[in-house]
Amino acid sequence: MTDKLLTARLTRRRVLQGASALGAVGFSSLSLPRAFAQEPAKPRELIVRAWGGSWVDSLKAGVSDPFTAETGIAIRHDLTEDNEIQPKIWAAVAQGRTPPIHVNWDTTVNATKSALRSVTEDLSDLPNLQNTTELAKPVGLDGYPIVNTYGYVYVLAYRPGAFPDGPPTSWKVLLEPRFKGRIALYNDGIGFHFPAQVAGGGKLEDIPDNMQAAWDFIAEVKKQQPLLGEDPDFTTWFQKGEIDVACTISTNAREAQKNGIDIAWVVPEEGAKFDTDGLWVPKGLPENELYWAKQYVNFALSKEAQQVWLDGLGLPGVVPGLEPPADLADDPAYPTTGEDFNKLIRISSKVQVENESDWFAKFKAIMQG
Amino acid sequence: MTGALSKKIVLWAFVITVLVMLSAPTIVVLGASFTAGNMITFPPEGLSLKWYARIAGASDLRDAFLRSLYVATICTLIAVPAGTLAGIALAKYAVRFQKTVQIYLLLPFTIPLIGSGIGLMLVLGEARLLGQLWPVGVACCVINLPFMIWAVSASAASLDPDLELAAANCGAPPLSTFFHVTLPAVVPGVISGSLLMFILALNEFLVSLLLVDARIVTLPVLIYNSIRSIITPDLAAISVVFIACAAAAVFLLDRLVGLDIFLKSK
Amino acid sequence: MRAARTAYPLTWRIMDALEAFAAAVWPARFDRAIPWLMLAPALLLVGLLVLGLIQIADTSLRTLDTSTFLMSEEYTLANYNRALTESLFATVAMRSLVGSLIVTVITLILAFPYAYMMVRTSSAILRKLLLIALFLPFFIGQVVRAYGWLIILGNQGIVNEAFGLIGIEPLRLLYNYPAVLFGLVQYMLPFAVLMAAPALTAISEELELAAGSLGADWVRTFAYIVLPLARPGLIGAGIVVLTLSLTDFAMPAILGGGSQDFIANAIYDQFFRTSDQGLGSTLALLLVAIGSLLVGLLFTLFGAGTLAMNKVRR
Repeated sequence: MTDKLLTARLTRRRVLQGASALGAVGFSSLSLPRAFAQEPAKPRELIVRAWGGSWVDSLKAGVSDPFTAETGIAIRHDLTEDNEIQPKIWAAVAQGRTPPIHVNWDTTVNATKSALRSVTEDLSDLPNLQNTTELAKPVGLDGYPIVNTYGYVYVLAYRPGAFPDGPPTSWKVLLEPRFKGRIALYNDGIGFHFPAQVAGGGKLEDIPDNMQAAWDFIAEVKKQQPLLGEDPDFTTWFQKGEIDVACTISTNAREAQKNGIDIAWVVPEEGAKFDTDGLWVPKGLPENELYWAKQYVNFALSKEAQQVWLDGLGLPGVVPGLEPPADLADDPAYPTTGEDFNKLIRISSKVQVENESDWFAKFKAIMQG
Repeated sequence: MTGALSKKIVLWAFVITVLVMLSAPTIVVLGASFTAGNMITFPPEGLSLKWYARIAGASDLRDAFLRSLYVATICTLIAVPAGTLAGIALAKYAVRFQKTVQIYLLLPFTIPLIGSGIGLMLVLGEARLLGQLWPVGVACCVINLPFMIWAVSASAASLDPDLELAAANCGAPPLSTFFHVTLPAVVPGVISGSLLMFILALNEFLVSLLLVDARIVTLPVLIYNSIRSIITPDLAAISVVFIACAAAAVFLLDRLVGLDIFLKSK
Repeated sequence: MRAARTAYPLTWRIMDALEAFAAAVWPARFDRAIPWLMLAPALLLVGLLVLGLIQIADTSLRTLDTSTFLMSEEYTLANYNRALTESLFATVAMRSLVGSLIVTVITLILAFPYAYMMVRTSSAILRKLLLIALFLPFFIGQVVRAYGWLIILGNQGIVNEAFGLIGIEPLRLLYNYPAVLFGLVQYMLPFAVLMAAPALTAISEELELAAGSLGADWVRTFAYIVLPLARPGLIGAGIVVLTLSLTDFAMPAILGGGSQDFIANAIYDQFFRTSDQGLGSTLALLLVAIGSLLVGLLFTLFGAGTLAMNKVRR
């Protein structure tokens, strides 16, 4: 008899439990369609263009992998050079096709060119933009067709072993005969035009009207048979002992440092170029992919993502309150104060966009001749 | 081979130089892929299969390789009928404007690869066909077609016209003659031509560079982009896969047709 | 009594149907046009290239507007002006032409003995080995091979290590003009050997024996018998190597270090670095013109050699 009572009670409990369970399911099933309505279908993967080597590794660690962990969308990194993906995206948009990538990690100057051509999606509605500094806003464009994500300096990186008397103080050290064949620049000359102007005896105010001083200096550098390459090349060359001095972004030198090579860098007396990189989303993506691409950019602007991403790159970000890496406190490549910025050369994106093609061509002409 | 000792020495000197030049990169890439270290060096630091394990798991490398195979297949499928018919036509018949047709069909050779690639990029772009993989196959076929025609016409040139006349004499209508007499005679040329087309398309680099993008990247382009990034030994491992394909193709070519066919006089 | 139609094998019946179809669609009086029918697919495929050239020509007449980065609507010859006057392009063109000539000469010198040995050797195994050594790199592709040389010739590669053993400082073997030329030579060797070999096969060995029995040493035999008779092979090889190395992209890009651009690299730069499709198309068209003129000239002067695809005269 007692068992029957027990059974009866259990049954009632079970019924109550069952009912509440049903209720919960019913409740959640009511909210599920709402959740689906809020978030579009997730694509299998998002393709993000990135620079190779430590650049893509840092992006993976700081942004892509955490994004995948949170949303389940895989991120594929395309390592095509920024200059080379640009015409492909432009052609795709002009011909009404789906662009080859979802998110472009690009230099601000390049991104501005794309924005001027109206191939970028508007990013003003990203929530994390509220929490960014002035640096994130592109200069000279309405709203946020692109968003800047960090700044960097084209420093003079060098092998301390080649400088027993102390670090170099001027860009003119590139002209020393003992470094013939052991110096390196970016293959389009980027980051070097402006310091060359000063080192060649010219004035920054003359940019872009009269840059003869820069071209003369570069012609002198050409006699030193510089190696010309892209970001990972600098790291490789330092690691393999092919070069002693280079004009490159501090990230590449720092990467060689992390691999045990003795490298240091300075901002010489003539100054060094400061610029920004950013992210943008090309037009022509399907609705759901566009949504998630913007989510990715938003994620990259969050404090946690910026902290890890930029720790890997060793660069100052656009979110206030970021901790500089321990090895870069007071480093000229990590400018934080006004005084730091005084030593750096900043030329407006507008001037760069209008003249960059000419500067590339002139640099190429000198280097090929 | 006739000749004095000096002739032998001189010849062997040249041959060994060329052999070294031809094989050195292959051996080095092969060796570097087995390194146990993290940087690409030859001789390798220690031996390990870990880079092969890595590429087996790398889905982007595998996808790129499959795409290359797909492109090569499309290329060969189109090249075989087009090239065979053209090769037979050129070898058997005295066509009017023979020289012009020859020059026209040699255009893929005379137009530099970059010119063909850019032209095709612009044309396919206008036709809204970029971004898909099969146009890349068609493009590879177009730029390598002279190889196919060349191989088939070489075979067809040695076809005795009397055989076809004999077949007709026995009552064979034209299509039957074609299928039963002409085609079997040019089969060696077709086989060597199609293997050539397949491998050339598999390795096609420049035109693919212009026509593919991140969504449809083929393996040679992926390797090239990666070389310009950090060079790690997994690139060597995937290159060995290419080498293996090449070796398989050479073996097949030898088995089915005999490599000696390329020594036949013209 | 004749057997019933159904007694014939299926293949025969299919062939009969096909023959009837062909006869209906292509009556006998069109028989002279059969070769054209057979050539049609190939002609159409190559027609795509012609379309491409037309498109290039069209684009070459437009200039880039750097405020919107769109191509201009009107036609102008400004790009041609730039291409023919700017020193950069003259330098690159000169470098490519001179380079391809050097590469052709060196490749022919190296390829000829190899082809000769391959054709003349009595050992089938050696011939097979030489053929395999030829085809394997041919089938491996430019990128992987250039990459192999990057490893060998690098500052810490085998060659420099060997130099180090005998006390020489590491030399900069890569990222310069000789490196690019070397890369081109090793890439072109299989092409040259394949073009030269058929011509050498056609030379009967008895001719050399005869010369020898008349008192010529092997050098004179070579110079007066073999070389002249092998002319079609040398011409075919020369034309192929010249045009391929003039227009190569991968070797200057990978082994040149950014300072050894050939014409193809300059064209690529215009399309993909400065986004100036107009100038890039202009350069491409000029290159096609130069290439075709060169090949046309060589064809007219020397004939196509072993490159020919026509009917063999008996």
